[in-house]
This record gives sequence, structure tokens and C-alpha cells, in this order.
Amino acid sequence: MWRVGVDVGGTFTDLFAREEDGDGQRTAKVLTTRPDRSVGVLEAIKQAGIDIADVSHLIHGTTTATNALIERSYPDAAFITTEGFRDTLEIGRQHREHLYDPYQTKPTPIIKRRFRYTVSERMNSNGETERELDEERAKEIAKTIRCKGIKSVGIGFINSYVGGAHEVRMGEIVREYCPDVYIILSSETRPVYREHGRFMTTAIRAALMPVMAEYFDHLESRLQSHNFTGTTLILKSSGGVMTLDLARLHPEEQLESGPAGGVAYAGYLSKNSGYDRILHSDVGGTSFDVSIVEDGKGLVTRNHELQWEVPIIVPMLDIHSVGAGGGSIGWVDSGGSLRVGPQSAGSEPGPACYGLGGTEPTITDANLLLGRLEPTLGGKINLDMEAAEKAVAGIAEKIGLSVLEAAEGMIAIGCEYMAHAVRKVMTSRGRDPRDFIYASFGGAGSLHACFVARSMNIPKIMVPPNAGVASACGATVMDFRQDMETFYYSPVEGADLGRINEIYSLLEEKGRDLLKAQGISDPSRIELIRTAQMRYVGQSYEVDTDIPSNILTENDLLKIKAAFNEAHEREFGVSSESFAPAFVSLSVAAIGKMKEPPAMKPQIKVGESPTSGQRNVYFDGKWIECNVYCGDALPIGYEIKGPAIVDYEHACAVLPEWTNAMVNDFGALIITLEL
Amino acid sequence: MNIEANITNNSVTENIVDPITFEVIRSLFDYTCERMAMVLQRSSFSPILADMLDFSNAVYDSDLQLIAQAANCPIHLAAMKFSAEAAIKKYSIDTLKQGDIILVNDPYSGGTHINDISFIMPIFYKKELIGFSVSRGHWMDMGGGAAGGQAFGTHIAAEGLRLPPLKIYNNNKINQDLLDIMLNNTRTPHFIEGDLQAHVGCLRVAEYEMQQACERYGVATVKKVMKQVQTYTERMIRDAISKIPDGVYEAEDYADTDGISSEKVKIKVRLDIKGSNIIVDFEGTDPICAGAINSPLANTMSAALYSLQFFLAKDAPQNQGMFNPIEIRIPKGSWLNAEWPAPTIACTTLASTKITSAIWQALAKAIPDQVTGSTCSECNWFVSSCLTEDGRVDVFSDLPAGGWGGTPFSDGMNVTMDPLGNCMNMSAENAELLFPIAYEAFEIRSDSAGPGLYRGGLGATFKVRFLHGGELGMETSRTLEGSPGVNGGGYSALQRSSHIMADGSSKVIGGIDSEGNWHNPLLASHKFGANETFMFESTGGGGWGDAKKRPVNAVFEDVLDEYITIESAREHYGVVIDSETMSVDESATTALRAM
Repeated sequence: MWRVGVDVGGTFTDLFAREEDGDGQRTAKVLTTRPDRSVGVLEAIKQAGIDIADVSHLIHGTTTATNALIERSYPDAAFITTEGFRDTLEIGRQHREHLYDPYQTKPTPIIKRRFRYTVSERMNSNGETERELDEERAKEIAKTIRCKGIKSVGIGFINSYVGGAHEVRMGEIVREYCPDVYIILSSETRPVYREHGRFMTTAIRAALMPVMAEYFDHLESRLQSHNFTGTTLILKSSGGVMTLDLARLHPEEQLESGPAGGVAYAGYLSKNSGYDRILHSDVGGTSFDVSIVEDGKGLVTRNHELQWEVPIIVPMLDIHSVGAGGGSIGWVDSGGSLRVGPQSAGSEPGPACYGLGGTEPTITDANLLLGRLEPTLGGKINLDMEAAEKAVAGIAEKIGLSVLEAAEGMIAIGCEYMAHAVRKVMTSRGRDPRDFIYASFGGAGSLHACFVARSMNIPKIMVPPNAGVASACGATVMDFRQDMETFYYSPVEGADLGRINEIYSLLEEKGRDLLKAQGISDPSRIELIRTAQMRYVGQSYEVDTDIPSNILTENDLLKIKAAFNEAHEREFGVSSESFAPAFVSLSVAAIGKMKEPPAMKPQIKVGESPTSGQRNVYFDGKWIECNVYCGDALPIGYEIKGPAIVDYEHACAVLPEWTNAMVNDFGALIITLEL
Repeated sequence: MNIEANITNNSVTENIVDPITFEVIRSLFDYTCERMAMVLQRSSFSPILADMLDFSNAVYDSDLQLIAQAANCPIHLAAMKFSAEAAIKKYSIDTLKQGDIILVNDPYSGGTHINDISFIMPIFYKKELIGFSVSRGHWMDMGGGAAGGQAFGTHIAAEGLRLPPLKIYNNNKINQDLLDIMLNNTRTPHFIEGDLQAHVGCLRVAEYEMQQACERYGVATVKKVMKQVQTYTERMIRDAISKIPDGVYEAEDYADTDGISSEKVKIKVRLDIKGSNIIVDFEGTDPICAGAINSPLANTMSAALYSLQFFLAKDAPQNQGMFNPIEIRIPKGSWLNAEWPAPTIACTTLASTKITSAIWQALAKAIPDQVTGSTCSECNWFVSSCLTEDGRVDVFSDLPAGGWGGTPFSDGMNVTMDPLGNCMNMSAENAELLFPIAYEAFEIRSDSAGPGLYRGGLGATFKVRFLHGGELGMETSRTLEGSPGVNGGGYSALQRSSHIMADGSSKVIGGIDSEGNWHNPLLASHKFGANETFMFESTGGGGWGDAKKRPVNAVFEDVLDEYITIESAREHYGVVIDSETMSVDESATTALRAM
């Protein structure tokens, strides 16, 4: 039987499959099919030569929710809120994305103003009723919603994170009049404070419910018609999986579903490849994603902004994305300086060398001119060298450099921008890049990894096996994960231990129930991880702090205080014994372990030579004859001295003169930089 | 590795770094300032820094020329340079040591208003001075006659502790005497040490990054690029200016009041554009006024520069080069060139917004197809001392925004902070958790925008209730006339403050009431009892172009979304909508629009 990971991306649908009881591995890559992406999922399985009846688990990363959200393509949804707050979804935090752009506009509201209704009611910040819910008005709203034929309704009231009774009652009234609509409460979605994030997440969840229901229906019926008897699991943005039943209810947990797979793979590498701290980077055609992985897990954030002023407050892997990739365009600004991106040629027209009508010079064109990319990409395509040269010549002339110098300059600048992005991510999480190995995923990642790492003084780089289908590969190593959270504000000094213990045990019980509903009840397969979101009194930001799993005592409060100071110091570079720490919310992550198939073994192509001749490559202003290696045929322990090129099935690694590399036991190429 | 050593063949002269190294180091300067901002936001304690981002950070070269800046608040743009200059004037450069940090907030030593406090630190690489890092933030309360300095008295002394340039750190050692004075002179001592630590952390990040740059590229190269970025930005700005038709363009705007008299206070601006130079001349502007809206030199310079920046090279990296083509003349004795002891607390918000509006209206005469309608032109910043249940005084603040003007391409943004800053508002739930108040509304205000082919963005209705009472100070204007439109676009609605009693009855306390009486909108220590509510209605932006030409369907959609009322659709847009069937009466509309 096969465990199949599928990642449906914007352009490609990637597949990676492992045998449940053996060492077999398969990969596939097909074009993503729109509008119904489930067609491509089945095509990928077919291309991999796997019979659907032999699939035990189909583990699926999907961009369906994200695309529908970004394009605002979903049926009209409604939102009901407290009088006075009709426009929280639209006003956001009243700031602008571009400081000096007089023509900028705000993102289209998730729910149109005409479908946002208000009702008189009020809870105070202690969760006590100040004004009763106006039931007459509530019924009026419910009737209107029925009249308009709206399919889903979000309900978000002020201070419902601490008292959700009015939301519940409002939901009951809507249900009375509209028996078939989806009804989503903010207090149930995520009972955390700050109305903008909670309302937004609730509205997004409501709006996407019908979209995901339709997609999962299609997927299920297609699978069934091919005699599928296995289990379908969906990747969550938090880095775990859930069953289809839960996935139908939680589109808001799928907004980074695809990238989460790549981070999961980095997590697997951090446990199995000999390097426990990994800086995960993924360079595709248009974007550069970075995240931090420590001890098998990606760092999680609770305030991710999917778009400007569109925050998602469910825990998500902290994946940062910047506009830099193979398609990034080089240009000369009005001051005469060479810049790269963020504009991208995308896949259409694509880089000039694709010959699809692109005329602007991209990073891919530069790599081709410098001999770093092989002009046929291993016989798959014929890249147009002349078109690339013509495109780069345009900017070279403007800045008074030769074409080759300009091409090398574009890459130097592009890599520098990527390094800034990585350093900002590290700063925002208080980490030092030099403590990490830089792991390079994605088609364009390893072309640049050495230059990006050098700029950050990172001495080691890893090019893992299956880097070209990393997200699909990661899908096959993931566990179930449920995140529960309850608001509890109190300074640590004088915190109510009885109440805290009670909350944790309730959250843990809920976690066990949710895992049980997904088929996991064996205690040895369940791990419960407690954290608290804490801050110094008066601050507005929280830091995740680890909490002991025993029944908490006064002595534990001292430990928690110390743990918080340490976490604050790590994340923000400062801490103080003289400030009073406080709890803001208490959380439990319930992990349900999947049965682990045999560890992944390196799949070295047999009968193929690890070397494949020489190629002239332009480095530091001159042509150098470099050895070229076949990445998929390198045996364990194989050593390479830069300058060299390593070609893979879906990627290519560039090793400048100042590098050495060796294939480790896991099959990963470990590159060492002379800094 | 030294990139410069490898790509040098085409360097034109030894004073110019090759284009690739240039961009690599230039982008590092920008990144350094962005990283400073991240550190300050994430480690500061007071909500006005951490939540509302009322701060800016910059790096200067050793001659105190601006190299790069991440101005969250454009109003800090040029002002920081004046603060740094004042600091260096007092402590001469040769006496400065690694680990010295000078602070200053004196409006008459390069400051703006007392609450904006600047920290200046020299950066050394191997004992050589290579530049300065400067961090400026709005501190919640520096003492004075009312919370947040909003006393609206007639003397600067009413607005808080006025600090000349002083060393808060001497060779990494804190000046405890100075800190003690500051702690003793604020309503919010609990923020002081945390915020100070955050500024210091952010200055040190810049020190680290600049030292790393010298290590990697060589100090000589870094210093060359520091000079080169300035000519680079200057080139971009000059290029943009030369595309504007030569000529003299004038406009006026005014503040409703200085808070003391009920007279309007005028700004007059004259843009003299010739080739690639602009002279901005404020000749004809009213004299210094008694109330607290006066703008010191540094503030006026900032406001004029950032206002122009929107329509010049908006993406040009910010450094000294952008100032060079622009000469700013501010008559001595005018309220835009305030002198001691004139009070200045409202300069960053009230004065600067009118400067922007006047300059944009003047520009609209030069480049009408590019300029937008006026924004709300107010920051609507209030500060309140509110009573807690146990009788303590707490200080909180918010700034409910208005709308932006219609643009040549789209409607203006709804409820967005004025160009002067980019502060976020308070989250209602966060505010209620921290302070003894209840937020009752922050909602779009129908019909508040200026009509136009592209209408202005809308303003908002804001309400906050005092659980146990309190006092509130606020500055605002646009209570007599709304934000002007351009190219035939209309004015927006009037702004207004009201006091709602516990029984629901209300009275206007700033702006025009229902009987037509005008109340001075600068509120100082206005008292609220328990469960009484402060309400503020902000205005939208001015319109762009003729409202009668707005597509009928766009007007209809606006009515469906209640951005405008049926009455406004008829009156301003000439679109007749039947309120029974909620449909457009096509023939009546055609007839009305033909009139």
C-alpha cells in the first residue's frame, strides 16, 4: 500500500509516494487543473503508476481555499456584529500598505457592506452582559438573510472571546429562519481577543465553507469512482493533518496548506539528517519562502497577515514570503541603479529565454547566460540563449557593464535581497542565522543558495533529496494536529492556579476528543503540548511560553516566569526581572501520531555515472571550466570540490569556487562554504 | 569575500563604486532601518509605539547627512535631522564615544512637539566614526498640564518636560539622574524604562549592521556608497520635478482655530517650479498664534517635504538627496516657524495636515491629472486621562482617521490615517482590557466623503464611553468646511465632536451644532462623568472630478452599501433611486443629469 502526498500548487500538482511497508518511492508532476483541481490530483497518481485502490492514505495540500480568498470568488456571505462595529472588517487597523502612494486602494472587503448587519448587544471585557441581545432585531436580520438567499453567515460580537452566549443565541435565531446555511461563530472559531483578527478569520471561514464543500465533494466522488478505500487527510497551515470531515468545517486552517508540507519535510530532515536547526527556504518562479525549523518542528505564529490587513489568527507555521524568484525582473530605476524584482515575469510570458514573448531580463535569463543553467534543462526544453542575451543587454547598456557582468550583478543583487528577507525573518523571531544550516528547496533554490548563505555568514547548506517535490514529500511525514486555546488574562503574580489547571485539563480533553473522532485514541500515539501566550503587563504582543504538563503549583509559576523571560529575551532581545509577566491565553496542541513507515532511504539512480562532463560557467568576472555532476546518481559519501554544477531532475545546484560538498547518509548534498 | 574586488573592471573613477556593489550596499542601508523598526515595535511597551507605530528610524553618515530612513511617520522625515544636528552642536563630534546616546525633545532644538523624543547614537568602526543611528518615537506622556501634553495652554511649559540634548547613556552607562527626572515627570512612569530599552536595542541593531557592512565591504567602500546614495536619490527627484511644468502655483488652507481665539489661522503656500528645482514659500502665512498649533521649523520642513514626496518619486530611497532640489522658505514670526515660548503640541497633526492640503491644492494647478483630492487633513488625535474603578488615573489615546481624496483612477481610501503618519488605531478589545473604557463604535459614516467622478474615501463615527469618568484633550479641524476636492470634485462633510450623556442625550462640543452654533474643536481637559461617551465624527476625503459623470451603476452600488444615501445620490450625483423598489429610475436620472 502507498502513502501518497499531493501538493496542488498554482502551476504544478506535485506527488510523492512512499510504500507503507517498504522502501519504494515514486514522484510525479502534472499541470494543475482548473477549475476542478481534483482532476489533476488523480492524473498525478496515474502518472506515478499507482493504482488508486492501493493508496492507504492520500495526504493533500491544497491552494483551493487560498485562491478563492485572494480572488474573492465565493458565494455572497453575511456577517452579523455588535452595533457600532459593522465596518471592522473593512476599516481594519486604518493604516496603509504603501507610505507614499496616493493612488493605492485597500483590499476588497471579505464580505460586502450591504451584507454586514448589526444588532444591539454588549458583553463587557469580563464577559458579563451589559446589554441583552435585541432578539427582535436578530430575527429581522435572520429573515433578511433568508430573503437574500445567502449561504453562509459569520457572527462576531465584541468581547465574545470571554463570553460567547450572545453569539450562540444569535446563531440559534439564524438557524431557526435559515435551516441550511453555514453558521460560524467567532467565539467558537478562536476565542482570542482583538476583534479585527477574530472577525476577519470568522468571516473568511464562513465565506470559504461552500467553496471547500464543493471541492471536497468532487475529490471524494472522483476517488470513489476509482475504488479508493484509503483515508484522505488534508494539510493544515499549522503543520499537521486533519480528516476530510474536519477540513470541511475549517477552511481557515488551510490557507498555508501547501507550504506547510515543505516545512514538514524540513522538520523531518531536522530529525533525520543530522542537523537539528534548519533554515528552510523555497525559491520558485515568483516567490521566495522562508521559515525556521527547530528540533523537528517549524515555528508557529498567531498573527499571520495573508494580505494587507487580512490577518488570520489560527496558529500557522511562520512562513514568510517575498517577491523574489527565477522570474524576478532586473530593471534600472530612475536614479540609474540596477534593481531586481519584485515584479516577476511569472510563467506567462515567463523569462525571455522561454521564448514565449518575454522581453525583460529575469534571474533565470541571467543564470542561463552565465552557464549555470543547462540550456535544455536535461533535454526537457530548449532555452533561447539569444533572447536572454538581448534582454540582459538592455539593462547592461544603461549601467555601463558588459552583458555578463550585468547578469552576474543581477544575481548578486537578487541574492542580497533574499538574504535581507531571511535576516528579517530571523530578527522577527530572535534567531541568529549562523546557528542554522540553510536548506534549499524548490526549482531555483540551489542556484542561489551559496550566495544567499554567504551573505548571512551561514557556513553550511543542505540540498535534500526530492527538493523539487518537497511539499508533497513533507505531506507523507505529517501527524494529526489540533490546536485549542482559551483566553485567560491574569498577571502571573496572583494567578488562579485552580482555574489554570481546570482550563488545561478541559483543553486537553477537547484535544483527545478531536483526535478520537479522527481515529486516534491510543494514548501512546497522543502528545499534548501546553503553551501560554504571555506578555509583560501593559504590552500588546504575546510570546509563546512552554508550560509544564503536570498539575501546576506555585513553584511552577516561578518556572513559568523564568521560561517567559527567556522566551521574551530570545524573540525580542530584551527581558526584565522588574516587569510583571501576565498570562493572556492558554493553549494546547494535541498531536496524534501517524504510524511511521520505514525511514526514507536515499534512492540513488543505479547504473548512471555521477559525473556528466564539463561546462563553462561565469564566476567573478571570468569563465571557469566546471565539472558537472548528476545529482540523482551521487552515492553516499561522494565528495565534490567547487566550482561545480550539480544537475537534478527538477533542480540545479551551483557550487562556486569557495565551496566543498559531500553527500551524507541521508542522501542530502551538504555544501560547506569557506567564509 | 569582497565583491568590489571582483567586479571592478568598469568602475569609472575611484570615487564611484561599481553599480552592483552600490545596489548591494544601498539595499543594506534600507534593510538596516527596517530592522530597527522591527526591533522597536516588538520590544517597546507603550501601545502608542507597539500598537500604533508612532516612530521612525534612520541612519546618517558621519557628516550627519541622511543615508536611509524607515519613516513610519512621514512627519518625522526631515525633523530627525534637525534633532541630530542639535545634539551634535551641543556635544561636538570629537568628544563622542562608542555607547553614547543623546536624547532630545525640545521643539526649539530640532524637535516638533514635546512627546516626540529622539535618540542619537554615534556608530564607530574600529574607532573611526562612520555615522549615526537615530530613533524617534512618540512617548505617551512627558508631563505637562494635561495627559499627553494636550493642555492647549499658551506657553510651551504647559506641554511637558522639555529636554535639551542630553546624554542618557555615557559610554554604555545609563545617566540615572536624567532617567529619574523623566520618571518623576510623567503620568506613565511604567512605560519609560521599557520604551527606553526598546529604542536602545534598535540603535544597537543599526550599529551592528553598519559595522558588519564595513567588515565585509571595507569601510572606504561603505563611506563612498553613503555619498553616492545621496546623488542617486537627488537624480530621481530632479528627474521627477523636471516633468512638472515650470510655473508659480499658489494655494491656501487654514486651521479652524488655534484653540484660544475663534479666528481661522491661514496657511499660504507658493510653489515656484523651475527646471529641476522647487521653491516652497510660505510667505503670507499668518503670524505665530497664542494656542498650541504652532509648528517649529523642523516640523514645517518635514511636512512640506513629505507632501511633495507623494507626487515626486514616491519610491525613491529616502536620504539627504531628496532634500537638495527643494528649497523651503518659512517667514520668521509665522505660525509655521514657531519660536519659544509658543506652544506646539498640535504641530505634527493639525499644522502638518493643512500644509499637505495646501501644497496638494497648489500642485493640482500644475499637474491636475495626477493630484488627488484633499485627505481628511486631520489626525483627530485625542489623549484622555481616565479614572479606574479604584480612582487611579490611566492615560489612553487614539486617532480615529478620516478618508483620503478621490484619485484620477479610483475612489479614495476609507478611514485611513492621514499622510503624516501611518499609525494603527487601538483595537477596541485591547483598549477595554487595558483601560477603564468601553468602545461603542468605529464605523463608516455615510455621506461623509466629497462627491466626484471618483469620490473621496469615507470618514468614520467613533464612540468611547468612560466607565468611571475622565478627561479628554483633542485637536482637530475641518469643522467649518470639509476637505476640498479637485478638478470639480466636491467638499466632504464637516467634522464634529459630541458629548453623550448616560441617558443618551447629546450635545456638540466641537464644531457646528444643530442650531448652527460653532464650538471650538480643540478640547482641553473636557470632563466626562461615569458612563458618558465621547463621540467623534470624522470626515472623508475631497472628490476628484465631476460627480455628475460618475457611472450611474457605481452610484447605485454605493447606495446599496450605504456609503451614500439616496438623497445624496440625487443631490450630488444626479442619480434618482426609487426607495421602494431599490432600483435606478433611468429616465429621471437622465433628465436630472442633463440639467
